[in-house]
Amino acid sequence: MGHRLARWWPYAPALIPLALTVWLIAALLSASHLQNFGWAFFGFDVGNYGILIFVIGSFLTSLPALVLAMLVGLGIALASTTYLPKFVAAWLDPFVDLLAGIPSIVYGIWGYFVLAPFFGQNVFPWTTGHLGWIPGVGANRFSPSPTGDGLALAVVILLFMILPITTVLMRDALLSVPRDLWESGLALGATRWEVNRRVAIPYAKRGIWGAAFLGFGRAIGETVAVFMVISQVARLPTNIYAGTSTMSSLIISSIDAALETNASGVTYLHFLAELALVLLAVTLAVNIAGRWMIRRTYTEVAGL
Amino acid sequence: MATASLSAPVAAVDDLTRDRSGHVRRRTLFDRCARWLLPLLFLVAIIPIVDLVYWVAVRALPTFTLAVLTTNPSGASGGLYAPLVGSLSILLVATLVSLLFGFLGGLATAEYLDERSASMVRITANVMAGTPAIVVGLFGYVTFVQYFGWKLSLAAAAVTLGIFMTPYVFRATGLAYTSVPSHIREAAIGSGARPLQYLLRVASPIALPQVLSGIFLAMAIGVGETAPIYLTTTAVELPPVGLLQPASALPLYIWSGFQTGYILPSAIHLAFQAAFLLLVIVVGLNILVRIVAARSRRRLQGLFQ
Amino acid sequence: MSSLPAPSADVVVSVADLSVRTKDRALLDHVSIDFSAKSLTAVVGPSGCGKTTFIRALNRMTELTPGLRVEGTVSYLGQNIYDRSVNPVVVRRRMGMVFQRPTVFPMSVFENAAFGLRLVRAGEQEIDAAVTEALQRAGLWEEVRSELDRPALSLSGGQQQRLCIARALAVRPRVLLLDEPTSALDPGATQRVEATLQRLKEDIVLVLVTHNVGQAARISDRIAFLHSGRLIEVGPTADILERPREKLTEQFITGRYG
Repeated sequence: MGHRLARWWPYAPALIPLALTVWLIAALLSASHLQNFGWAFFGFDVGNYGILIFVIGSFLTSLPALVLAMLVGLGIALASTTYLPKFVAAWLDPFVDLLAGIPSIVYGIWGYFVLAPFFGQNVFPWTTGHLGWIPGVGANRFSPSPTGDGLALAVVILLFMILPITTVLMRDALLSVPRDLWESGLALGATRWEVNRRVAIPYAKRGIWGAAFLGFGRAIGETVAVFMVISQVARLPTNIYAGTSTMSSLIISSIDAALETNASGVTYLHFLAELALVLLAVTLAVNIAGRWMIRRTYTEVAGL
Repeated sequence: MATASLSAPVAAVDDLTRDRSGHVRRRTLFDRCARWLLPLLFLVAIIPIVDLVYWVAVRALPTFTLAVLTTNPSGASGGLYAPLVGSLSILLVATLVSLLFGFLGGLATAEYLDERSASMVRITANVMAGTPAIVVGLFGYVTFVQYFGWKLSLAAAAVTLGIFMTPYVFRATGLAYTSVPSHIREAAIGSGARPLQYLLRVASPIALPQVLSGIFLAMAIGVGETAPIYLTTTAVELPPVGLLQPASALPLYIWSGFQTGYILPSAIHLAFQAAFLLLVIVVGLNILVRIVAARSRRRLQGLFQ
Repeated sequence: MSSLPAPSADVVVSVADLSVRTKDRALLDHVSIDFSAKSLTAVVGPSGCGKTTFIRALNRMTELTPGLRVEGTVSYLGQNIYDRSVNPVVVRRRMGMVFQRPTVFPMSVFENAAFGLRLVRAGEQEIDAAVTEALQRAGLWEEVRSELDRPALSLSGGQQQRLCIARALAVRPRVLLLDEPTSALDPGATQRVEATLQRLKEDIVLVLVTHNVGQAARISDRIAFLHSGRLIEVGPTADILERPREKLTEQFITGRYG
């Protein structure tokens, strides 16, 4: 295929995504004046521009959300592909896709004004009372607050936001299991659950890992909704209800301070640019790994 | 030599219903549990949607009059005219930008690249799509607001958002043109069509509906994004007057309602109305996506034989 | 529609008046046939005649396709497998199935063979013994005995198919159902599978669906000819091949073989 034109210019536009990405990285690099902060950058001291707290915060919100989204997503995918009749699944599947279409800021206000009070007044008193013996789940002097926002709520919101990705990708992975392979398991006297557990899931392992990586990438990049429910504070959380910060929530919350045109404001901007590069690096690494594991073509689902 | 039969060592009667150690019943029970419990997990997806839409509607609709759409905001009251027009203007320009970058790029990938390069380019586009919006926003600030000197403006916001939307348009275009059946492409070349002719008269009519649905999808994503525009424009109370003037937008409005909400409860109220409006636009665009996709599928049925 | 002489005490599976219908048509129409111990019955017929549906009806795999209605009875040692009180899981343990393509699981050779036994939590020693025995019966033992841990997918096509046979045999079924097991294999591999089947028919009941009449001629004791969902004729192999009673049978046989 391909009409080979003698000139190179028709090929050039194909490099646009690469060019844009390179431009983005270069701009942020120059904005960050890389040598400014030294090794303290990777430390805990926020006053000294240490980012570790925020990196940990990002992982503390994204990893639990990912684990939950994988478990729920796997269950939904199994139900949809092997347990429910086709027409029921066809009806229910789009609902998961709908979750992906809701803008992040709408998740944010729903999370803060509706979900947070609900959790703060109804759920957390129960969990601190009955499950307080588990480390991290008990209350302390500062948290949980009745407003309900904090780490736990951020995890919950992230769960809803990345559930579509994990579910759809795992559904794909399970659908890629050849029919006769699946039936072979059944023909040996296994129940559907056993075939799923011992044959289908091992077969679909790669796609499942891909779903995990891509879901994690999405979670860690999520900014607005997380910021609005996480009770932003530049400290590590003391329990699951406490406020904390993530890399992305810090950037968006302190951008105003950084845009002040005095010396400390300018330096802060350098800091944020460098932090953005770290966030980008993590996201790119995770996304590249994830894409390498799946082979999904485009879909009409919020741009997966 | 008579060997014992190697088939199941059973008596002449093999009772299919006898379950010696309860094994079978246990395993079947487990499976039956899965069969009923796993579908319940769909609720984890359905309940949030229903709850969210319900609450947004409840807090937005009772006082949602036409005036809301036609008056400008002033302080914590007023209407949503300026943010609405601002959002749509930014979206329009951003879509054009994303078309410039994404359509040409996708087209070039589909038509002029061999398989290996094409898949590498596609991976790049996919990875680019995974870039966090806040990072793109910061890039936009540094580049357009500061370096290009545009300041907080509609242009800065639109170009930044357009870059954010580019990967989606790129992918949709690439896929649309790649999915032109090869026998049609070969027939066109075989009858002597020049590349540009082929593109314009044969491939595009087939591919464009799919591209269009991809554009609508990119728009649905773009109109709801906050981070790329938060850093590149600022909320003003009037509709945009020029490309280099700031333009408000619905997400910004919701954001400021959130920020000031604990001082001015009425601001929360307007924020929910803005959220409702945003949802309507997003849903509308998604419906357009499906309509265009379905229509193009139907019209092109005959081609894929 | 012909049937065997009155079933002897030797009958393992007895199919009586079996019909499988979809909403619009009948895939199988009142098929009756008996399968006796230590025999290999080849089920042949033109494509679309229902032979795959037939064999899948024998271990209730038809239940995987929604909208299929099964009427009539399939009796295993006198018990109707479609009875409400019978669990398909149990039925499938008694009737192993081998598919058209080799469908080895993504695990080691050993684990593949042990799959059925692991389901019932058999002890390690029992599993070892059963796997060895199954691989021997399938004619694969000599080739894999030193590398039982290698991934099953690294075996050749023919070896994989024999592994599928071993996997089915490991739970000691009385019946083995094979749906065109050699159609995806090269002639050498086919020959080895056929040799295995010939050995196995000394032991258990084999029902072999095949589109290859030559194969039926080589290894089967009986041939059952299906056409458009009906059992046209069944009888000893030589009889069917040389002196078919029905016109349809003759047309099919001579078209494919003579």
